[in-house]
Amino acid sequence: MSRAGWTPWLLGATLLGCPAAPKDEAGRPAVEKTAAVDRAERRAYDGAPPVIPHPNLGAECVGCHHPRGVQIEGLGYAPPSPHEKTSGLSERSRCTQCHLFRQSDELFRSNQFAGLSQNLQKGERLYDGAPPVIPHDVLMRENCAACHDGPAAREVIRTPHPERVRCRQCHLAVSREGTTLAGPAR
Amino acid sequence: MERRGFLKILGATGGALAFSNTELTPEAQAQGVREKDLRWGKAPCRYCGTGCGVEVGVKDGRVMAVRGDAAASVNKGLLCAKGYHLPAMLYGEDRLKQPMRRGADGSLQPLSWDQALDLIAQKYKEALAEGGPESVGMYGSGQWTIFDGYAATKWMRGGLRSNNLDPNARLCMSSAVSGFMTQFGSDEPMGCYDDFELGDDFVLWGNNMAEMHPVLFSRILENKRSRPGTRIVELATRRTPTSDYADLYVEFKPGSDLAIANGILHLLFAKKKVATAFIDENVVVKRGIEDLKTIGYGCYDEQAERYTFEDKAEPATWKDVESFLADYSPAKVQELSGVPPAQLEALAELYGNPGRGTVSLWCMGVNQHVRGTWMNNLITDLHLVTGKIGRPGANPFSLTGQPSACGTAREVGTLSNRLPADRVVTNPEHRAEAEKIWNLAPGTIPAKPGHHAVDLFRAFMRSEVKVLWIQTTNPAVTLPNLARFDRKPGDGRFLIVSDIYPTPTTDLADLILPSAAWVEREGMFGNSERRTQHWHQQVPPPGEAKEDAWQIIQVAKKMGMGSLFPWPEDAWHEPMFEEYRKFGLGNGKDLASYKQLEETRGLRWPVVDGKETRYRYAAGHDPYVKKKAGVHFYRAKGNGEKAAFWIRPYHPPAESPDQEYPFWLTTGRVLEHWHSGSMTRRVKQLHQAVPRAYVELNRVDATELGINPGDKVRLKSRRGVLELVAEIDGRGRPPRGTVFVPFFDEGLLVNRLTLDAMDNISKEPDYKKCAVRIERVS
Repeated sequence: MSRAGWTPWLLGATLLGCPAAPKDEAGRPAVEKTAAVDRAERRAYDGAPPVIPHPNLGAECVGCHHPRGVQIEGLGYAPPSPHEKTSGLSERSRCTQCHLFRQSDELFRSNQFAGLSQNLQKGERLYDGAPPVIPHDVLMRENCAACHDGPAAREVIRTPHPERVRCRQCHLAVSREGTTLAGPAR
Repeated sequence: MERRGFLKILGATGGALAFSNTELTPEAQAQGVREKDLRWGKAPCRYCGTGCGVEVGVKDGRVMAVRGDAAASVNKGLLCAKGYHLPAMLYGEDRLKQPMRRGADGSLQPLSWDQALDLIAQKYKEALAEGGPESVGMYGSGQWTIFDGYAATKWMRGGLRSNNLDPNARLCMSSAVSGFMTQFGSDEPMGCYDDFELGDDFVLWGNNMAEMHPVLFSRILENKRSRPGTRIVELATRRTPTSDYADLYVEFKPGSDLAIANGILHLLFAKKKVATAFIDENVVVKRGIEDLKTIGYGCYDEQAERYTFEDKAEPATWKDVESFLADYSPAKVQELSGVPPAQLEALAELYGNPGRGTVSLWCMGVNQHVRGTWMNNLITDLHLVTGKIGRPGANPFSLTGQPSACGTAREVGTLSNRLPADRVVTNPEHRAEAEKIWNLAPGTIPAKPGHHAVDLFRAFMRSEVKVLWIQTTNPAVTLPNLARFDRKPGDGRFLIVSDIYPTPTTDLADLILPSAAWVEREGMFGNSERRTQHWHQQVPPPGEAKEDAWQIIQVAKKMGMGSLFPWPEDAWHEPMFEEYRKFGLGNGKDLASYKQLEETRGLRWPVVDGKETRYRYAAGHDPYVKKKAGVHFYRAKGNGEKAAFWIRPYHPPAESPDQEYPFWLTTGRVLEHWHSGSMTRRVKQLHQAVPRAYVELNRVDATELGINPGDKVRLKSRRGVLELVAEIDGRGRPPRGTVFVPFFDEGLLVNRLTLDAMDNISKEPDYKKCAVRIERVS
């Protein structure tokens, strides 16, 4: 992927796609929901790895997406990777194995796929004041702070207690619905 | 939905709403479906030979999501970009939904399944009556399920009495088949994926694993992270994303891997690093025909139409080996390959170090090679002489490209010379065994091998094969030297194509049949590590699409060959599999039962008493080995149950750069696209990541030619011309004098340039080496 592949579209998308971007493309003040919209737009379905919302900068991904994240002047905030504690996905791993750059905005053929929608539901609480259960799958999302802390975290999911680093001590993860091994699924 | 429209909705509902459903996209608002609302079923991934476990999320008859299956030992929850985007592959707007026949004016007219099946039966019957079994053919795929391949081989050989059945796997891993068969008398690796955690040194022979087997490469990277000292050595003809992780990168001239392997063997013998006791007990030496002129390349002169070379094995001695290897001194190897002696010494040190587990890995670089069988033999030779074979963490391991290249093409035996479970049509006992299981009269299965893939299409162009049925593959994009196969429908021959989307191959078809894809039907695949994986149908196919095996069975019935498939119309998968399974039971190719495969994430054969085998031929692992320790190559009956070390020399490629065509052209895949792109290009995210084919150039070459990144460049070979956009210092970085073009793009067919030279033994074409010239267009 060469730098020659950059397009104005991509640069536009970059600035627009940054959670910290102050304005939307119509020039209005960005509403808080923009991050959620961006989140959905970058994924084929909820759970799919997001496409990369910026051009290929020719740098190591973890150079910016490192554990503390980086605020880049004029570009936005590069959050840390949610995978950094995932076994098999060390910083030596290949991010572009799953995360794709967008080199074109054309389609080869139309597609009618409609995927699982973004889960915006809050985690259930056993009683008022109890720690909410984690309402999403945690496989490969072991680093909770990547999304729930720092400038990239949307207000509604930002942790009020980032100093408590062992999140799953109190927040239980819901297990995946069991995969049906036997019997045809009709 | 466009972003602007969405913001309008937000405005209308009041931008201050904190957290509600108005944040959803319209599709999501319409459905509001959550992860917990889906029904999750298991399946292997549709794409490569890795065989990742996938959880498939279904609602209302549509696949809405997938998850990497954390309970699958292959991938432990991880997928790659292709795998994560599997659901969208099914929903391209132009899915084929009904049978269509091409009229005299070239237009396509729908017809019913009944009419289509009658027409196919009639065409095959007419051809059989006029030209006999030699005049009919079928071309399948390593993407066929086991059911599809089994139906095809039984119908072709037992019904039509023709061996003109070959899969696209011929273009992909048949050199690995002939490699394993010539050395062990049985196909497929002895090792398994566990070696990715257990090995110390991983030697990649011409194998861009980071892109082609990304999830397995992740397992090696994790091994490297958790066990410092684990090393990756890459031998390659261009730098790829894999090279970024290599501890040692060895660049060689295309085709000279034969010299390098012999050079390593030379040093192992010279430095007395050979495991003498091991080879005395377990290995014999063989030698085949080595004369270049006798062998040829199958693409020039009188060989250009029919290529039928047969190797002849002669016994040899270790003394012969040492005197043969005298020609492969480090200096001589450097002259042939460009590899400095220090690197060759490092490779010999690595293979010769008994304290380190060595895993050799290879895929298309070695297999798509005019001497691919030889190269397979030589890599295994390195493991035989060092005794690094049949034990955890030390094995030669051949990676396969397609999801069931092993399960279907190799194990079921849909290659033109093979029968199920390592049997061949040329062996009268094997034919008799097949006829017994299939309940056929003795002498039904013909003894003469049918046409191999390239020759099958050459025979079709010669009108020797008059009716040809293609399923699950796209040869109008993937065959080498495509100009040889230009045809127009309605030319007197009859071409049937079953697929899920329109492709350049359906453009050539007289009759098009719509197929069910992946989880739209029941299936089984067999992956690279001998793991058979079953899945159930999870959604209905679109329109009138039907599974490939069903199509074959129905034609057989129309032709009066229904006794080949005597099972109930609504419950034939299990009895068909259990019949197929008889071929392997008791001879080391035992598959698990249908029931056990239903209930597991696949098992690695041989499966005896319900237990899988991680390491074949290894004492303590393989139930067929009765020894207390070591290995027993019990399938190599012809060699006294010992493995064969083959003496194999260096031969030059079929075509090398010269003054007129001064550059090497090598071709291959990219991570984002599956083969000819007919599925992955219909997925927005994958297409937009790599929207079109390009040519990778070396920066210095580009500068000399006045070519900048993004310029249009014309590539010309002796066979064709193609204009592509130049990419420089992108994901692949070829050395000076080499260019690379991926083959996924049906609009930019690099196979109009490639050469249809092939391996002498496997008949697998060499897509990696031909000569081109380059000029800047604009």
